Amino acid sequence: MQKLKNRKGILRPQLKKYGPAYLLGLITLLMVDYVELFVPKLIGEATDGLAAHLIDARGVLMIAGKIVLCGIAVMFGRFWWRRFIFGSARKIERALRDQMFEHLETLPLRYFNTHKTGDLMAYFTNDLESVRLAIGPAIVTSFDATVLTLLVLYRMMTYVSVKLTLLAMIPMAAIALFGYFFGEAFERRYSNMQKAFAELSDYAQESISGERVVKAFVQEKKQYAAFREVNEKKRRATMHVVRLDAAFEPILHFLVGLTYVVAILVGGYFTIVGDMTLGRFVAFNVYIGSMVWPMLAMGESVTIISQGIAGLDRLHEILDETSDITDPEDPDDVSELKGGISVRNMSFDYREDLPEALHDINLEIAPGETLAVMGRTGSGKSTLVNLLCRMYDVSSGEIDFDGHDVRNIPLSVLRRGIAYVPQDNFLFSDTLAGNISFGKADATEEEIIAASEAAQLHSDVLDFPEGYDTVVGERGVTLSGGQKQRASIARALLKDSPILILDDSLSAVDTDTEETILKNLKEIRAGKTTIIIAHRVSTVQNADNVLVLEDGRVAQYGSYAELAETPGIFRDMAEKQRLEQQLQTEE
Amino acid sequence: MAQMKNETAETSSGKGVFLRILSYARPYIKSMLVCFVLVLAVTALNLYRPILIGRAIDGYIEGYARPLACVSPEDADVEFDGLYLSRDENAASDRYAILVYYSENYYFVRDLTAQQAEELSALTGEDLSGASENGGTLTFPSADGRTEFTGRLLDRDELSVLRKGDHDGIIRIGIEYLIVLAVTLLCELSMVWFLQRTGQSIIFDVRQQTFEHLHTLPLRFFDTNPVGRLVTRVSNDVDSLERLFTQVIVKLFSNTVLIIGYAVVMARINFRLALLCFVFLPFIFVLTYIFRTTVRRIYRTIRTKISNLNAFLSENISGVKLIQLFVREKSKADDFKGRTTDLFRSQMKELLAFSLFRPGIAFMANFALATLVYRSGVSVLAGTLTLGTMYVFTNYIRSFFQPIEELAEQFSSLQNALASAEKIFTVLDEENTIKEPDDPYIPEKVEGRIEFRNVWFAYENEDYVLRDVSFVIEPGQKVAFVGATGAGKSSILNLIGRYYDIQKGEILIDGVDIRRYRTSDLRRAIGQVQQDVFVFTGDIKSNIRLLDESITDEQIRLAAHAVNADRFIDQLPGGYDEPVTERGSTLSAGQRQLLSFARTLAYDPRILVMDEATANIDTETEGLIQEALERLMQGRTTIMVAHRLSTIQHADNIIVLHKGRIRESGTHQELLQHNGIYKKLYELQQ
Repeated sequence: MQKLKNRKGILRPQLKKYGPAYLLGLITLLMVDYVELFVPKLIGEATDGLAAHLIDARGVLMIAGKIVLCGIAVMFGRFWWRRFIFGSARKIERALRDQMFEHLETLPLRYFNTHKTGDLMAYFTNDLESVRLAIGPAIVTSFDATVLTLLVLYRMMTYVSVKLTLLAMIPMAAIALFGYFFGEAFERRYSNMQKAFAELSDYAQESISGERVVKAFVQEKKQYAAFREVNEKKRRATMHVVRLDAAFEPILHFLVGLTYVVAILVGGYFTIVGDMTLGRFVAFNVYIGSMVWPMLAMGESVTIISQGIAGLDRLHEILDETSDITDPEDPDDVSELKGGISVRNMSFDYREDLPEALHDINLEIAPGETLAVMGRTGSGKSTLVNLLCRMYDVSSGEIDFDGHDVRNIPLSVLRRGIAYVPQDNFLFSDTLAGNISFGKADATEEEIIAASEAAQLHSDVLDFPEGYDTVVGERGVTLSGGQKQRASIARALLKDSPILILDDSLSAVDTDTEETILKNLKEIRAGKTTIIIAHRVSTVQNADNVLVLEDGRVAQYGSYAELAETPGIFRDMAEKQRLEQQLQTEE
Repeated sequence: MAQMKNETAETSSGKGVFLRILSYARPYIKSMLVCFVLVLAVTALNLYRPILIGRAIDGYIEGYARPLACVSPEDADVEFDGLYLSRDENAASDRYAILVYYSENYYFVRDLTAQQAEELSALTGEDLSGASENGGTLTFPSADGRTEFTGRLLDRDELSVLRKGDHDGIIRIGIEYLIVLAVTLLCELSMVWFLQRTGQSIIFDVRQQTFEHLHTLPLRFFDTNPVGRLVTRVSNDVDSLERLFTQVIVKLFSNTVLIIGYAVVMARINFRLALLCFVFLPFIFVLTYIFRTTVRRIYRTIRTKISNLNAFLSENISGVKLIQLFVREKSKADDFKGRTTDLFRSQMKELLAFSLFRPGIAFMANFALATLVYRSGVSVLAGTLTLGTMYVFTNYIRSFFQPIEELAEQFSSLQNALASAEKIFTVLDEENTIKEPDDPYIPEKVEGRIEFRNVWFAYENEDYVLRDVSFVIEPGQKVAFVGATGAGKSSILNLIGRYYDIQKGEILIDGVDIRRYRTSDLRRAIGQVQQDVFVFTGDIKSNIRLLDESITDEQIRLAAHAVNADRFIDQLPGGYDEPVTERGSTLSAGQRQLLSFARTLAYDPRILVMDEATANIDTETEGLIQEALERLMQGRTTIMVAHRLSTIQHADNIIVLHKGRIRESGTHQELLQHNGIYKKLYELQQ
């Protein structure tokens, strides 16, 4: 019941908007169907007139002219109902698509962690398509088929003969029944075939992914044999489907043919004894032909509509999803961040059944300070940063910005206040300028270049074919890891927020460049808060404080100088990195 | 640019691809021929059906206008109105009677001479223009105006008696029609079944061949081709050939036959009317052609736009964190809207094309019908055409246009199928660069002596990852390779199993160049333990024995026990039958490692090649792994790449690679004393 309400919920505004167009479309469709039925009748009239010697050449011409008029009317009608109905369906599809995307953007990171991109994409492609097919072609087909059936039956009964129509209905009913049972059986076999196909794909996928093992253990021949089995299974399942499917048309033709037999035997007799004219007999034969399609179409559109409803339900899975990271109902009066951060007894788990990713963290960053966060992979560094940006909410404890709990700060204020350089250096398929000004759409060229220079990217950009207008990403120029990192640093610098977070963002640049960037940062970020996550000790040399995380807990926390002298993780790291560097220089 | 190249390639080789794909049908040529014969039969039968109804109309329904002879009672077919009448046209008589149809009623005219009867049987509308009807009596003058005929109105029962012969004829035709139907059903059923069996067999063959060919290709091929794409070749691309064999080819044939059949039959029945119908053909052809090319073009744009939109979507879903952090939700949504609107416009163009074409064709059909009705109507009036023929033609012209439209559709399907076929052929044409020797060296037993002689190797071009590497490993020795990331350690392992061929130098096993071994013999002698352990969907057992059924359950247990894998296996709810999958995270990295040891041990290789796992493994498992390794290496030549130096201190020889060259070698102690790279690496890891 709830579901039904929901279904209507997402379509209601659309239906309200496009209802009139649909109505017009259906009316046009109705008229087309009505006019189309004149054609057999006109042929019948011509035949009768000729048989009964009642019309002359002029009469025949008149009838031919009427057929042409019908043709013209039908042509225009068909054109318009397509525009009205299919056009509206497309418009609704577009509106839903926009709505889904807009909604998706508001969902929290947690949602995207548990929903694979591919699965989300499927909502936009498969499910949306099944909805469109239901509100477009299926509506037309089912309406058309119903109307046509009724009209043809009416015509048959009034123009030709009630008795004959009822008799001819026997094979017709058989067609409908046949179609129904056929559809059921087909559906069953078809899903078996799809299973076999999925099995085959999975097998190929795994076999090819495991190519190394296959080759190393000389399993090729055995793979062939095993694949032969799934291949054969697919072939059999397909045969099972197609044997049925292939029988469909011939049997249908036969059943339709039976209707003609009834027409010949009974209709012929009626005509002979004068109950019916020859023209009506001919018209009846034409009518039979036009009954076949609606009989089949009705069954088909039932399937499509039910798939559309299923698709709509799936769309709701996205649209009904709500975000737990929302603007506070009663926000503190903050319009911008100043850069002070304090974290108190903060713990966090991704899921209740998982161990805590961060445990009892305490931090104090005064405005303008630089904090370095270090630790092994999986120690919780990025999690901490995600919490600062409120990509998640803490499980216990508190994160404050300038004394305001993060949950009481409007999201846009918080996020405007933080510039972030992600670990994966994600760039959008856009120009370099577009990417760098991502956080400040109205940035001037000078600002872009300044940020780019500070990030040591500018000289690279000058080498690109179109400078800052060079498109990067999948369909553009491929940047090196280091260039991507520097571009995302430039992007964050241009945003010029009171807080800057670099999440292991200098890993792919060489040490000299790193040094220059750090030097620039020191200048640009003077008086502003900076948090640097790093693996290399060299990266954090300018930090006021260093936090070392281990398994989600604070292992060491103090000034750079302090930690460098205390025995512990930090000092070990520093030592190792010195050695590594030496090894690199070895020739 | 790349896309353009693809397209030109497609068109230039289209014919070649078509012929090549057809060659897969060769083993099934007999079945295909049977299908074609059946297609001909079905087409002929379908053409015959309207003719039967036409005959019913002309011969029997309109069969009232035949003179009935007055004969002696014993010769009569029917007694009516005191007359004994015979339908036999050759019956000798001087008196005749006939039925006349006027204004939806039948009238009985009697007492006619042979000549008069003849005249009345060929009555036309104009002849009856002077007729008058009064109280059930029809009076009309003869053609020359000298005689006046009178007819008596007949009721239903009288007609039924008089026209019994016509009724019998109708029943005969009904039965004939039924027989035609039954035969058609049989022919059609056997045709499609035959066809499907053939088609599915061909699909099976192509698929098997593609899959098998893929596995013969060298690793290098898999380095550059994503798995997903290759799977698509085997699954979806092969599937899209299905339509080609089960529908397209036969439909192309049957529709061509149908068009020709209609044309011939129509021409034979009435040449002039047939010509009239043919006049419309070029219009339909041109219209269809224009439509097809337009739609194809629009469709291609739509496809590009959809894939762009999907790329945008996927990118923005991946980058949603940044969008939120940079507060760009609104502008991204606007961007998205712009794109969906753009796509929408193209879709509306497609809709426009369809809403112009479909109704256009429908109008053409109606127009043709109208013309036909007029032309044939005039001929009927002139007495040069029967109503039955008119029926046949109006029926035919409705069916005549359909195969033409279908033909155009099948050409599109054909093009799609060929595009898929081409992709498959690209894979099939890919050659194995690791050539099997013509005259292979077949070892009785591999001892396990490995020698590298001045080996140079690059994955690509001149980018050498190994430079002039030489070393010897005696049977049973354990040798470890160490070095920083990218030093070329893992490459050495790949080369021994000949997964890649080297550019310069020689690799020898037991003194024989590995290029002289069959790769299967070579690889069987080498056990590989990889960094990332690949787990196949199945259970623990099947992951140890893989597909070699000759490895018994007992052997599996022994192997698992020897490498300490049995400890965790025994704890699984299903034990050795516990289901596992590649993606499923049921097994930890350490457990996977142990599983792969068991796998390798079960195959009992002479040479062991190991890439040590870098993944974090808990200390408990780590101990188990160390113990397992010791057992695994016993009595085998072992080459291992070590990332953690703690594991290799007991190796017989340690070779230090640095930037593709061998820099140091010796035992752990020797190397430490040497105070070189090894020592630094060692200190680094303490």
